[in-house]
Amino acid sequence: MSKHSIMVNINGSDAEYEVDSSDTLLSLIREKAGLTGTKQGCNTGECGSCTVLVNGKPVNSCLMLAVEADGAQITTIEGLSANGLHPVQQAFIDAGAVQCGYCTPGMVLAAKALLDSNRSPSDDEIKRAIDGHLCRCTGYKKIIDAVKIASKKLLEEGS
Amino acid sequence: MQRRWVGKGIPSIVAAEKVTGKMVFGTDFALPGMLYGKVLRSTVPHARIKRIDTTKAERLLGVKAVITGADCPEHKYTVAGQPVADMTILAREKVYYVGDEVAAVAAISEDIAEEALELIEVEYEELPAVFDPEEAMKEGAPILHEELGSNIASHLDFVRGDPDEGFASSDAIVEGHFETQMVHQCYLEPHGAVAAWSGSGKLTMWIPTQSATLCRMTYAKALGLDPKDVRIIQLPLGGAFGGKLEYKLHPIVALLAKKAGAPVKLVNSRRDEFLAGTPRVPMKFYVRLGGKKDGTFTAKEMRIIAGNGAYTYYAPPILVSAATRHDCLYRIKNIRTKAWAVYTNQPATSCFRGFGNPQSHFAFESTIDMLAHELGIDPLEIRLRNASQSGDVTAHGWKMYSVGLTDCLKKSAEALGWEEKKKNKKPYRGVGIASCLHVSGNRSFLPFFDGSGAMVRVDGDCHVTVYSGEPDVGQGLRTTFAQIAAEELGIPPWDIEVALVDTEISPHGLGTYADRATTLGGNAVRIAAMDAKRQLRETAAQILGIAAGEISFGDGMFYSSDDPERKVSLAETARKASYLRGGAPIVGHGTFIPPDVVMIDPKTKYGNISCAYPFAVHAVEVEVDPETGNVKVLKFAAAHDLGYAINPLASEGQIEGGGTQGIGYALREELVTGSLGTENASFRAYEIPRASEMPEFVPILVESNDPNGPYGAKGLGEPALNATAAAIANAIFDAVGIRVTRIPVTPERMLNLLNEKLKTEGKPLSSG
Ligand code: FES
Ligand code: FES
Repeated sequence: MSKHSIMVNINGSDAEYEVDSSDTLLSLIREKAGLTGTKQGCNTGECGSCTVLVNGKPVNSCLMLAVEADGAQITTIEGLSANGLHPVQQAFIDAGAVQCGYCTPGMVLAAKALLDSNRSPSDDEIKRAIDGHLCRCTGYKKIIDAVKIASKKLLEEGS
Repeated sequence: MQRRWVGKGIPSIVAAEKVTGKMVFGTDFALPGMLYGKVLRSTVPHARIKRIDTTKAERLLGVKAVITGADCPEHKYTVAGQPVADMTILAREKVYYVGDEVAAVAAISEDIAEEALELIEVEYEELPAVFDPEEAMKEGAPILHEELGSNIASHLDFVRGDPDEGFASSDAIVEGHFETQMVHQCYLEPHGAVAAWSGSGKLTMWIPTQSATLCRMTYAKALGLDPKDVRIIQLPLGGAFGGKLEYKLHPIVALLAKKAGAPVKLVNSRRDEFLAGTPRVPMKFYVRLGGKKDGTFTAKEMRIIAGNGAYTYYAPPILVSAATRHDCLYRIKNIRTKAWAVYTNQPATSCFRGFGNPQSHFAFESTIDMLAHELGIDPLEIRLRNASQSGDVTAHGWKMYSVGLTDCLKKSAEALGWEEKKKNKKPYRGVGIASCLHVSGNRSFLPFFDGSGAMVRVDGDCHVTVYSGEPDVGQGLRTTFAQIAAEELGIPPWDIEVALVDTEISPHGLGTYADRATTLGGNAVRIAAMDAKRQLRETAAQILGIAAGEISFGDGMFYSSDDPERKVSLAETARKASYLRGGAPIVGHGTFIPPDVVMIDPKTKYGNISCAYPFAVHAVEVEVDPETGNVKVLKFAAAHDLGYAINPLASEGQIEGGGTQGIGYALREELVTGSLGTENASFRAYEIPRASEMPEFVPILVESNDPNGPYGAKGLGEPALNATAAAIANAIFDAVGIRVTRIPVTPERMLNLLNEKLKTEGKPLSSG
C-alpha cells in the first residue's frame, strides 16, 4: 500500500491529507476529515447514503478513491448550511421527508445537484435523480414532495 | 376540546439535526482510544468445531484482542422473556448456520481487524444440514440442538368454538396452501455498537437500539453480570423495523472491549447483515375456510410451519401472533389452529414490522378472496359482512373498544375507485383489497412486566425535558412525545427536548416494538406532563396567594379564574419553583399500565393481550405485464384506523413507508439461503423498492378514538404493511385469474404462472 499526499477542498477549505492508495473518499471524509454527516450504508456503491458532491456532481464516495479526489472541490452535507439551512434542507424538514434520517444527507445532496442543473424538474426527473438512493423509511413520496417544494422556493427566490 | 399541539402535522423536532448531518448515529459514535472489531463467521451450515487457531491473528501488528467461544461464558442464553436458552455469544462446540459467529478481533483499524480474520484457522467436521422447516420436523432430520431433543422450538394447538360443526354448516369451503419467504429489514444503517468497561468493572454500551431495557436484561444474562453493572445508552437509529432488538454483535463487542482493555466499536458490513441478521420468520400455511351463501364465515382451520432458524430469538411469540391475530379481524367463532416453529440451519429469524402478520394476513386474506370467488360475492362485500365492530370480544378473548375496520374498508375502496374499476375492467389490470389488525403493546411479550413510565423535568429556566424508556426508532416518537408534553404544559413542542434512552436515567420501558410506544409511552408522557403541571400550578398558587383549584392556565400564564389580571407566567413560576426547592427541578412522573390486559393462557393462548387494536385496509390496483411477468402497483389506497392522529404528517409517513416495504415483500424481496448461506447478500442482488417504482399512494387516516389511547391514539407503524402482500395477490387474481400462493411474486414466478395457465387453458389471456 503506498501513501499519497493529496490536496482537497472540502466545504470551502483546502486541506492536505495523507492517504493510502486504497482509501476511499468516504473514509477520508468520515475518518480523516471527521465529517460523519456522510453516511455509510453499504460501502459497495449500492445505496447512495455516502453521496457527496465532487465538483458539483453527486458521487458515491464509497466507490471513489481518495487519491482520485486530489484537487477536487467537495461538498458534504455539513457544507450546505454554512449560511443557515439550504432551501432543500428546509423543504425536507417541512415536507416530512425525514424519518430515520440515514438516507437524508445523500438525498439532500442529490436533490441539490439536480436543482442546480434543473430548477423545475418533473416528477420523473426527480425520481430518476434519486433512484440510486435507497430509503427504507419513507416510501419516497414525501422526499419527492420536498424536492418540488424546494424547486418552487428556489424559483421564487430567482437564485 | 380544542387541542393546540396534538393533532397537528408539525415537522419532526429533530429533523434539522438530520438534514445538516449533525445527528450522531450509532455508526458515527466514537470514543478516544477506540479499537475496531470484526467478526469471523462460519462458512458451513452445520458442523462441529474441531479446532480454532488464532495464533497468527494475534501476532498481526495492530491486533489488540482475539476472542473465540473459549473466551465466552459457557452458559447458554436467549433474548428476553423466551424460555429456551440455546446460544452462546460465540460458537463453542458447533456452528448452526453459514454466518454463525465463531471468533472476533479488535484492532487499531477495521482493515487490520479484517486482515486478522483471514489468519484465524478453523477446522470443521461438517454435519448434515436442513433448511426447510417442514423437512426439519420429519423423523430422521438432522437435529440442531441435540440437548433439546428435537427441532421443534415451539408448538401451538388450540380450538375455539366448534370447527367441525362450523364446517358442516358451510355452503362452501375453500382450501389454500401459502408460502412466505425470509426477508431482511434493510434498515439503511447497519447494526453497530461501542462498548467500554470502567475501572470498577462496569460495562457501558452505546447502541442504536429499539429497547435499551431488553438489551440490558439480555446482555447481563449473556455475560453473567449483575444488570446493575450494565448501562445501555441508546443512540439515534438509522432505521430498525424490528431488527434492532437484541443481537449477538452487542455482547461480542463487550467481550472484545474487555479483553483489549479499551473501548471497541463494531459495525456490520452490509454483507454481514444479509448473512447473519435476524430476518422475518418464513412461514407455510395450510388454510381452510368455510362460509354461508350470504358470505358469513362459519369456520376456519389453519396449520402453520415456521422457520425458527438456528437460534431462538422471537420466533415463538411471532408464531403466536401469526396464529391468532388475524382471527380477530372478523366475527369468526369456530377456529382450529396448529402451529410449529422449527429450527433450521439458517439465520435466526425474528422481528420485522408486523410480527408474523404480513405472513398470516397474506395467507388468510387470500383465502377470503378464494371463498368470495366461490360464493360469487364481491371481496369488499364479504369483508364488510364479517367485519368486527367496536365493543366486540373476539374468539381469542380480545376486547376491542374501537374498531374502524368498516370505515377503512369503505374509505380505501372509495379512494381506489373500486366500483368503477371493477365495472370497467381493463386487460391485465386488477384491483385487490385486504384488511389487517394489530396491537398497541403485546402483553404476552414479557411475562413479568407491562406498561410504560415517563418523567417530565422542568428546570428553573423552564427548560422541559421528557424522559421515556421507549426509543425513537426514526418514526418520529420524540416529536410525538414533545407534542403530548406541549399540549399538557402549554408550550410549543420545539421548545421541548426528548432525551435518548439511557438505562441509568430513563424510566424502565420495554422499548419500541409491538406498536406500543405511542399508546403506552404516550399515555405515560401525558400523565407525567400533567403531574409537572400540577406541581407548577401549586407554585403559582403560592405566588398568587390563591388556592390551586382556583387557578386557570392559558397562553403561557397561570391566572386567577375569578380575576384574570392576577397572573404569573409559566416561566416565572418555573423559576420560583426551582428557588423554593433549593434548585431542584420539578419532575413530573407518569406511569401507564394498560387496563384490562392479561397474560394469555400459556396453553390455549386465550386472553386480551392489548389495550387497543389498530386496523387497516389496503386497496391496490396492479398491472401484470404478460411479456415480462412484471407486476406493477399502479395505485395504493391505505386506510388506517390509528385511533387518533397525534401527528398526521408523521402518520402518513408511516403508512407510505410501511406500504412500500409491503410492495417489496410482495413482489421482490427474498433472502436466498442454502448450504452456502445467503446468496444474494447485497443491495444489488437483494432489491428493495426504489423511487421510480412507487405507485400513486393515497394514505387515509381513520380516527376511531380508542378510550385507552392518549387522546384516542393507537399503534400505526406495523399494520402499515400487514395487508399489502394480500391486497396485491388479490389484485393479481382479479387481473389475470391466477391465485398466487407464494411470495415474492417476482417477474420470473409470475411468468411461470402465466405460462402454466396458458398451457392448461390453451388460450392467451386476452381479457385478463
Ligand atoms: S455507502 Fe456508498 S453507496 Fe452505499
Ligand atoms: S429516512 Fe430512513 S432511510 Fe430514508
